[in-house]
Amino acid sequence: MIQTDNLTFRYKKSKALFRFPKITLARHENLLILGTSGIGKTTLLHLLAGLLTPISGKIQIGGTDISTLSQKQLDAFRGAHIGLVFQKKHAISSLTVFENLQTRLYFSNTSVNNEKIETLLKDLDLYQLQKAKVRTLSEGQLQRLGIALAVVHNPQVILADEPTSSLDDANCKNAIALLKQQAARTNAHLIVITHDHRIKTDFEKTIVL
Amino acid sequence: MTLWNLSLQNLKSKPLYSFLSVFTLALGIALLLGMQQLKQTFKHHVAPNLGAIDVVVGAKGSPLQLVLASVLHVDHPTGNIAYVTAQKIAKNPMVKSAVPLSYGDNYKGFRIVGTTAPFLTLYQAEFNKGRKVEKAMEVVLGATVAQQLQLRLGDRILSAHGLLENSIDVHADAFTVVGILKPTQKVIDRLIICNLQSVWEVHKHENRAAHASHDHGAAEKEITALLVTFKSPRALLSLPPKLNKMPYIQAALPKYELDKLYETMGIGFKAITGLAYLIFFISGLILFTNLYKMVKERTFDVAILRTYGASHTQLIRIVAQEGLAIGIVAFISAYALITGGLGALITRIHNTTHMYTLQSLSLQELLETGISVFILIIVSVLLAIYPILKMDISTILSHDT
Repeated sequence: MIQTDNLTFRYKKSKALFRFPKITLARHENLLILGTSGIGKTTLLHLLAGLLTPISGKIQIGGTDISTLSQKQLDAFRGAHIGLVFQKKHAISSLTVFENLQTRLYFSNTSVNNEKIETLLKDLDLYQLQKAKVRTLSEGQLQRLGIALAVVHNPQVILADEPTSSLDDANCKNAIALLKQQAARTNAHLIVITHDHRIKTDFEKTIVL
Repeated sequence: MTLWNLSLQNLKSKPLYSFLSVFTLALGIALLLGMQQLKQTFKHHVAPNLGAIDVVVGAKGSPLQLVLASVLHVDHPTGNIAYVTAQKIAKNPMVKSAVPLSYGDNYKGFRIVGTTAPFLTLYQAEFNKGRKVEKAMEVVLGATVAQQLQLRLGDRILSAHGLLENSIDVHADAFTVVGILKPTQKVIDRLIICNLQSVWEVHKHENRAAHASHDHGAAEKEITALLVTFKSPRALLSLPPKLNKMPYIQAALPKYELDKLYETMGIGFKAITGLAYLIFFISGLILFTNLYKMVKERTFDVAILRTYGASHTQLIRIVAQEGLAIGIVAFISAYALITGGLGALITRIHNTTHMYTLQSLSLQELLETGISVFILIIVSVLLAIYPILKMDISTILSHDT
């Protein structure tokens, strides 16, 4: 269950106040947030991820109102319950694919389970690349690793920021399919923000900012 | 995957920065350790050799030279004094003990010293093998002499005239090795000890053969110096001035003479130590710059780790461990360099002059330097993590594209 209410945010040294519409997601519900650049899509995503703190309003994820958490509690909450997918940069380039996933689990405070990582890598067609350094991967492979990193710790929410914008049509479809599949497998909500209209039809629930 | 693993991976992915940091830091540490070791070696070389010697009595000349020759056995003696005079001084009620020394010969560069039994007591020397000298033409070897020349009990050695090794001026009489001493880390390790009689006998022949170049001779028995220990320190004030008024002889105070020497050398030591600290400080600056650059260049990685749930403390630990790893590697390299490099240098000097034995660094000195390195690293790390603390992950992640 995810619920936001009366959410507002203002950047330091900026007068513009962002007001965000109410979001309510029931179990297993996913959400697509559409909007043009500069409208505050990423800001909303970062609020949901606890990377920014709202001026007012509530952000309820599971049973927790994350707007009331301290910095340290937020770090821990993010590590355990939130998975983030980005457009391009996904992983730490000096580590291998496998080490990246181990690192992700280490910080989420869940025990590192190599078998689980291997299964996930097979699922995402990355098994052969597990010992490869991240900097050697192709765009499509990187995107799949990004998805793996967002779900390996079984989060409550997967937040994806323009996950498909730099992908071609085939990879775009594939990425959304994988995201939805992994979200379903881990019982997580999937929230995607994008200006990419190619994926509009893949979601039942959509908010336009 | 642990935090340590991340630190090491970070270092591995920036080999040039890591190498430069380790290299300059190791250089700084090596200089510090090297200075300490040299200072320690010099001190250790001098202080224990003074032992209980309050005054050295010898022929008139430079008091420092007399001390260097008779206490540290490095310089040439100032000349000889009459044995009768020495005996008179030894009988003075203020004198606790007086050990005569008589020089003149060497064996393969090691000095042969004619003396009496209490000489061994002066250096707390103990026998490793054999016994003490009982009659003329018998010698006891210091540990270094026996070890370097591979001499054993019963070996016979031919002494050469003077204090430097030569094969031209060899005496006909052979000495027999009757004892070998345990190592003492004092000058006695480098000496060959016989009784006074031996020196006089060897040079009697010489006088007959009319060696004009040296004035060992005269019918009167002579010695080179007398090492005097007083019963009370008060004698230091009264007796030496009296002795110095006598013809031909002088009384030198070894502690005073060597302190003077120290003071002169001390300026040099201080200058080099200052330089060593400066280089150490600069290596700290380089370490900081490299850590800072590494943190800056990984900004995105750090932001990613924050989205993984890494706390500030954990991220700081990663950087601190990088600094620590660099420090540990640098310290070990510097230590290896010092024990290997300086050791080799000293061994070379040692082989040519039979003078210095390198003191190994004491645990305390290593610890002190270790703590300096640790402080340097902590300060560098504290400055380098500033970008992490100031970092706005949201902004960094927004510039993903």
